Amino acid sequence: MRLKHLVPPNSLTANWLRIGSMGLGACIEKVVRGSGWRDKFRKLPAGKGIGLACSSYITGAGLPIYWNAMPHSGVQLKCDRGGGVTVFCGSTEIGQGSDSILATIVAEVLGLDPCDVVVVTGDTDLTPVDLGSYSSRVTLMTGNAAIQAAERAREIIARHAARKLELPVERVTFAAARVFDAARPEHGLSFAEAVQLAEAAEGTVGTVGSYTPEPSAGTYRGAGVGPSPAYSYSACVAEVDVDVATGIVRVPKIWIAHDVGRAINAATVMGQIEGSVYMGLGEALMEEMAYRGNRNVVHKIPSLLEYKSPTTLEMCDVVTYVVEDPDPNGPFGAKECGQGPLLPVPPAVANAVYDAIGVRIDEVPITPEKVFKALKAKGKGEEGRVGPKTFPEIPWPEPTRVPPPWEGGDGKPVEGGKGRQRAAKAKAAKG
Amino acid sequence: MLRLPSFTYRQPKTLKEALVMKADAGPHGMYVAGGTDLYPNMKRRQQDPKTVISLMGVPELRASDSRTVERSDGGTVLGTCLTLTELSDSPTVRRTHGAVADAAALVSTPLLRNMGTLGGNLCLDTRCNYYDQTYEWRKAIDFCMKKDGHICWVAPSSPRCWAVSSSDVAPVMVALGAEYLLAGPAGERVVPAARFYYNDGINYLTKQPDEILASVRLPPADGWDAVYHKLRRRGSFDFPVLGVAAWVRWQAGSGKREAGPVVAEARIVLGGVASWPQEVPEAGAALVGTDLSTEAIAAAAEAAYRPAKPLDNTDFDLSWRKQMTRVYVTRALEDLRQRHR
Repeated sequence: MRLKHLVPPNSLTANWLRIGSMGLGACIEKVVRGSGWRDKFRKLPAGKGIGLACSSYITGAGLPIYWNAMPHSGVQLKCDRGGGVTVFCGSTEIGQGSDSILATIVAEVLGLDPCDVVVVTGDTDLTPVDLGSYSSRVTLMTGNAAIQAAERAREIIARHAARKLELPVERVTFAAARVFDAARPEHGLSFAEAVQLAEAAEGTVGTVGSYTPEPSAGTYRGAGVGPSPAYSYSACVAEVDVDVATGIVRVPKIWIAHDVGRAINAATVMGQIEGSVYMGLGEALMEEMAYRGNRNVVHKIPSLLEYKSPTTLEMCDVVTYVVEDPDPNGPFGAKECGQGPLLPVPPAVANAVYDAIGVRIDEVPITPEKVFKALKAKGKGEEGRVGPKTFPEIPWPEPTRVPPPWEGGDGKPVEGGKGRQRAAKAKAAKG
Repeated sequence: MLRLPSFTYRQPKTLKEALVMKADAGPHGMYVAGGTDLYPNMKRRQQDPKTVISLMGVPELRASDSRTVERSDGGTVLGTCLTLTELSDSPTVRRTHGAVADAAALVSTPLLRNMGTLGGNLCLDTRCNYYDQTYEWRKAIDFCMKKDGHICWVAPSSPRCWAVSSSDVAPVMVALGAEYLLAGPAGERVVPAARFYYNDGINYLTKQPDEILASVRLPPADGWDAVYHKLRRRGSFDFPVLGVAAWVRWQAGSGKREAGPVVAEARIVLGGVASWPQEVPEAGAALVGTDLSTEAIAAAAEAAYRPAKPLDNTDFDLSWRKQMTRVYVTRALEDLRQRHR
């Protein structure tokens, strides 16, 4: 059923979000095959269960959090006479590997080894602005800005190398720290010599690049929520072991597949996915913000001593599949992998609990108390279900109707609720 | 980051010297062994000694396996400054008093067991979610009666403090009937483990502040068996929200004949449900004369479940914790039955 519901690639959704690549089908197939899903679902012994869940996530928000018309990410690039390249960007390396992305992308465009690229980041005295390490935006946005800066440097260097090598500029190729004729690779210069020619002719070689996401396709009020340059996808299968006497849930193994578009640094992609599984597991099983209603709403767990996260003993085995379905908006097709793979973990665990013992826990964390309570209720012939019973009361505004793309229109609303009332009145008057 | 307040640190070389230093320091002096309980508490200003007297340099107490002395009657004497790692790794203790080694191995994390000591765990400060917080947080809720305040936030109308005994080793000591040797200015005295604790979150020890818990005497291993089961959220790090120490003495001479062995005496002691290691005599009584049959175990578990009164001041929901008493007592006793077969 999930495979039949996939949104086609390069399409618009009903609410006018622009979909690029769509690797979710491949993700589902990977985890279903890898986990032996078909042999296990509804077939495991009592207390053991298996669950599947899918998710999608934005690769950065389409609009900046502080409204302005300037780029979301800026890069400056400097080529020096020795053949070294320095890239400056305000992006903040918080352990996710964003510095390696900048180095790898610049090196790829200029035909260098990433080790030849010096990265200066996060220092606002030295670097142009990048909006920050949040929203899973850094690889796509700084990556695109870096590509633009590097391509501009390549254009300058290629122009002067072409003159020296007596070639049409289209044939100038950059690879292995050389600049050469694509038709005759031995005919060329070292990258350093090429930079020296350019500097002799034009002065120091320095370029800039920046990135601003395309405006969203929808223009209705509220269309600014959800647009992203690219969407990543994840699918997860979790196996659980439930102790029915206590309600304690253990997760021995998780299979996860993530469509990252293109893995620019395969090691950090795997690390981000596995780290997401760890965080998802904590969210699924124990992490909670709890307050004491009967004690002036003081925090029940005011320190990290009580805010329990899994230890290595609770961390499950993880089988990770990196799916690469390049997105037209991503740098070399890359999409995010920093937050998306976390999302399917809690629902997969919840689904596995249902498969194991037939009770539904409708909120996280799925604690032993809740499982125990649901089992008790089920034992008494009541519904084995714990969590919110109703959707919260929300005073909804008058609805606005926007025709989906396949009904035509241009992403603007036709009249809202009032308009429809007027139309209905008019129709009634006619009739 | 929380910082330690300034204090004078003293390192006596003998027990006698330690007692003199304590006398000099007066009520503002405290003993410390591994420091895994005291120092975090000092950072949160739960205890504020001006002088801290380390017992780790006192050879009579100092941890090492050679301090684990097997006595001629088969009993074992443990120096209280044995670290929990030394205790759980000791081949002697593992062989003769496995439940003690198991309980020691279940305390906190490997790093903290390398520092924390047997004596420290037996004297562990009682714990509570309203008490084990920073000074500023406690001040914000106007403190509690255990430190700086007048009210018990767990049970505001209560005249007493409900902080929880959270030691893993203490319930085992009480179940085994161990004896503690205390050294004080007036000389030594021996106290049965069960008489070492009060069911009061503030005055939870019968030990006087100037007395040193010097050693623990474990009874000889002859015809009894014991296990310790621990409930906590994670497999490491966490204090017990429930500990079950179960001890049985099998009838002397009852072999594995068709009649089967019979329990002559039994003790069930719960940790994490009161301010002291809580023995449940009714649960032990329910096992006497039985062969730990399923029915007998169920009766003991039911008896242990009834008086267990966890309050809302630890991890987990209190009603679930109470329910778990039945499950964990059952499992501990099934474990004992299994070991005997």
